[in-house]
Amino acid sequence: METPYTDHLSLEDYEQVYEPAEDSFLLLDALEKDLEYLEQLQPYLCLEVGSGSGVIITALAKKLAGSSLCLATDINLKACDATRRTAVRNGARLDSIRSNLADALRRQSVDVLLFNPPYVVTSDEELQTQKFDSHSESSTDRNLVFSWAGGQDGRRVTDILLKQLDDILSPQGVLYLLLLRENKPEEIIRHLEGLKFRAVKFMERRIPGEHLYILKVTRSSSS
Amino acid sequence: MKLSTYNFLTSMAIKGVKVGFPLKLTINKKDVVESEFNPTFVERILPKLDWSAVYGAAQVAELTEDIPAVQPENIGENEVLLQKLHHLLFEIDVLEGQLECPETGRVFPITDGIPNMLLNEDEV
Repeated sequence: METPYTDHLSLEDYEQVYEPAEDSFLLLDALEKDLEYLEQLQPYLCLEVGSGSGVIITALAKKLAGSSLCLATDINLKACDATRRTAVRNGARLDSIRSNLADALRRQSVDVLLFNPPYVVTSDEELQTQKFDSHSESSTDRNLVFSWAGGQDGRRVTDILLKQLDDILSPQGVLYLLLLRENKPEEIIRHLEGLKFRAVKFMERRIPGEHLYILKVTRSSSS
Repeated sequence: MKLSTYNFLTSMAIKGVKVGFPLKLTINKKDVVESEFNPTFVERILPKLDWSAVYGAAQVAELTEDIPAVQPENIGENEVLLQKLHHLLFEIDVLEGQLECPETGRVFPITDGIPNMLLNEDEV
């Protein structure tokens, strides 16, 4: 899987949109590693929530070109715009939607769900000062904070998504979720088992200051 | 926004809305982006789509001569129709327009090809 071009994105963009970093590349590597599985799955609909610069969903859209519908959501309009431009720059076919997580999508329609959440452990206050509303562009510095501030255990946004997972994933659906050790991946795995999902640590990588994981989550009823 | 995407969007997240589908589509400006025709994929994705929303999109895009109001059987054998569906669903890109919740009338603008489905806190 090719790493998409990002030369169309400027430092000015990265003041408001998360710049691809080790976590983004680990998620890309996980998709690459699981490509055979993904091709066999023949997904109808792939969705990345919180797509930021759009590199991950663009890479997947390029790989699955013409055989899957790829969508990206982000609450930050600047990120939606960056994702759209990344897709165009790389000749990928995908649509960018401004939305909270998968709120705007029909129930149980997503076959491949990608999420690199705001995972950094912060105070909940820091997260709560990040209020978005649909009519404003919101102030520039806050856009970026929202891309990484995760509240208690760095889990606030991730936990919301996991609670909605049954409503989002199709019967054959799979989620690739990026986590940090501080997010307590074992606890999440046990929690998901209780919700009738099967979760495994699919990949992990140590980088300076962070221990990153990719969790692969499927319904325990699916094979 | 492509019209295939339109078929998956809902306003169900609004408090009190039951189905929120199909949204009422308005197109003010569109583009046609050529893309490779994959008849197998068009045929495969049809059962995932809601035909009334497919036909509704065709009406708004003024392509009703191409798309029948009722889903015909054995579309897989009808390459001409698959090609027309491909054009409708994957080649028309809505740049400016709006989506409207069928139950509350809440309007979601489409600007520069990006539908803004974000809700305010008091709406959820």
